[in-house]
Amino acid sequence: MISLKNINKTYPGAVPLHVLKGINLEIERGELVSIMGASGSGKSTLLNILGILDTYDTGEYILDGTLIRNLSENRAADLRNHKIGFVFQSFNLINYKDALENVALPLFYQGVSRRKRNAMALEQLDRMGLREWSHHLPSELSGGQKQRVAIARALITNPAIMLADEPTGALDSKTSVEVMQIFRQLNAEGMTTVIVTHDPGVGEQTNRVIRISDGLIV
Amino acid sequence: MKLSVFDIDNWREIGATLARNKTRTFLTAFGIFWGTAMLAILWGGGDGLRAALSGNFEGFASNCAIVFSGRTTMPYNGYKKGTYWNLRTSDIDRILLSAPEIENVVPSSSASATMKYRDKTTSGQIEGYGPEFVALMNPVIRKGRFINDADVASRAKVCVIGESAASKLFGVGDPLGQFVEVDNIFYRVVGVVKSRNMIKINGPLDDNIVVPISTLMSIYNRGTNVGTMFFIVRPGYTPADIKDKVWRAIRAGHPMISPDDDTAISMWDISEQFKMVDNMMTGVNVLLLFVGFSSLLAGIIGVGNIMWIIVKERTHEFGIRRTLGARPTTVLRQILSESAVLTVIAGTGGIVFAVAMLGAANLGMEAAGQPAEFQLTFSTAISILFIFLILGMAAGTIPALKAMKIKPIEALNDK
Repeated sequence: MISLKNINKTYPGAVPLHVLKGINLEIERGELVSIMGASGSGKSTLLNILGILDTYDTGEYILDGTLIRNLSENRAADLRNHKIGFVFQSFNLINYKDALENVALPLFYQGVSRRKRNAMALEQLDRMGLREWSHHLPSELSGGQKQRVAIARALITNPAIMLADEPTGALDSKTSVEVMQIFRQLNAEGMTTVIVTHDPGVGEQTNRVIRISDGLIV
Repeated sequence: MKLSVFDIDNWREIGATLARNKTRTFLTAFGIFWGTAMLAILWGGGDGLRAALSGNFEGFASNCAIVFSGRTTMPYNGYKKGTYWNLRTSDIDRILLSAPEIENVVPSSSASATMKYRDKTTSGQIEGYGPEFVALMNPVIRKGRFINDADVASRAKVCVIGESAASKLFGVGDPLGQFVEVDNIFYRVVGVVKSRNMIKINGPLDDNIVVPISTLMSIYNRGTNVGTMFFIVRPGYTPADIKDKVWRAIRAGHPMISPDDDTAISMWDISEQFKMVDNMMTGVNVLLLFVGFSSLLAGIIGVGNIMWIIVKERTHEFGIRRTLGARPTTVLRQILSESAVLTVIAGTGGIVFAVAMLGAANLGMEAAGQPAEFQLTFSTAISILFIFLILGMAAGTIPALKAMKIKPIEALNDK
């Protein structure tokens, strides 16, 4: 599903920062993987490259059979839209849209009709146990609820892979456990999932832990 | 990805975004509202002012001068200093002969008059003119006709009366064919006139009675003396150009005037006055243009500024949208559509407000007895709206393009 070969990434500057120093990584369909590392280890950069939110300098990245290199912004946007579901530490919900509209937004960019995408969004919210909250704004939801809305939004396009960046970082321990249960449940249903975290408790609940240190997988 | 102006979903998205961010929408809308309203008020007010100014002189032959007779100031040909002389009908032919640049000479004589019809009276001036008067004042002929050559030749006792004099004497009745009495002479009414402008030669034309100049001169024992003479100069010449020719022609018929006597004949060059008015109008135009342009610029800068803040404020949101699969062009189109929708709605509001203000100004002026026409033409209103739409969107494009250059991940991290 994901194949990284010798990925290098340097941030230019007065003192260029060589963040990724030749990452090789294979993730199979249906895996639940965590990428762990200290801050500054390059794990966020790696996730951004996996999510086509950032580019890499050398190497080769193949996502679900597609070579990700020198993509136009439009092509990158379309690939993100169709292939990747994002979950972030800070949820990244649009604050003036209610839960239903937030979940439905990726389908808006696919040109799905309003009626259809709202029906699909409601289905996803129902799956997350949030049917009753579909018309609440993010500010009216708890952290756990917000993250579940974000997960519903990531799932709605039926992506090839789910990328989660510290998904429990902003949640208390009880809610963290619940959110991790959701990820495990989704993985059990076949969803390929990559979770970036520095929390060993989260790493333990994944099937494979990839440790990254100083730009290299160890 | 389907995206077009006909896709209702896009409009719904734009509407929702605008409706959910009320403060921001209101502030932007108010800026546009105020800009268009100011521009529209200035524009309409300026047009009204210009119309009011030019209305004062409408129809009047601007390229003309008046010649007055008077007294000599130096002895000549055996005449003493201070001798009175009068313009005479014979001067007209000589002037026309010696100065072909002159299109028309309009002699004028008048006396104060009380007009009577049955038991009604009104006072004004009785003015004597020939048909050339039409070339000078271009009055509106409300009814009947003006004095013609035959009237002058036969010294007919006919008259043309001013509109307000007519309504005082005849009320709603038809004055044509009726007889108006002035100083025991009865004149048959052949026409009713109304002045087009605010120029008064012997008092307001609308209050006066006009008879053939020959008739007036014989009834009031003027002999061949006329009061004053207007001469209208052909286009391309000015009264100043032909002053010498006219004065020579006058002196030829009046031996008491020395060639060195500069003040015996007086001339008032009306074209000079018109030049002043023209300059004033140009001044008003320049001022309006300047103020209008400034307020337009201020409005555009305001819109651009707000757009810039909005784009900055929403960088994070655009980051989320792009992460979820929005293409940069889609987001750009969204920003521009939002500002276009706002501009059209708020701009229309501003123009409606301006029209209301101009209407109120009209009512105020009417109440003050100075009716004005502060109006905004439909095409002007549409132009203002379009100018704001295009420039406002252009102003919004710059920050929007800048925002689209940011990588989605950087936009996502912008908080």
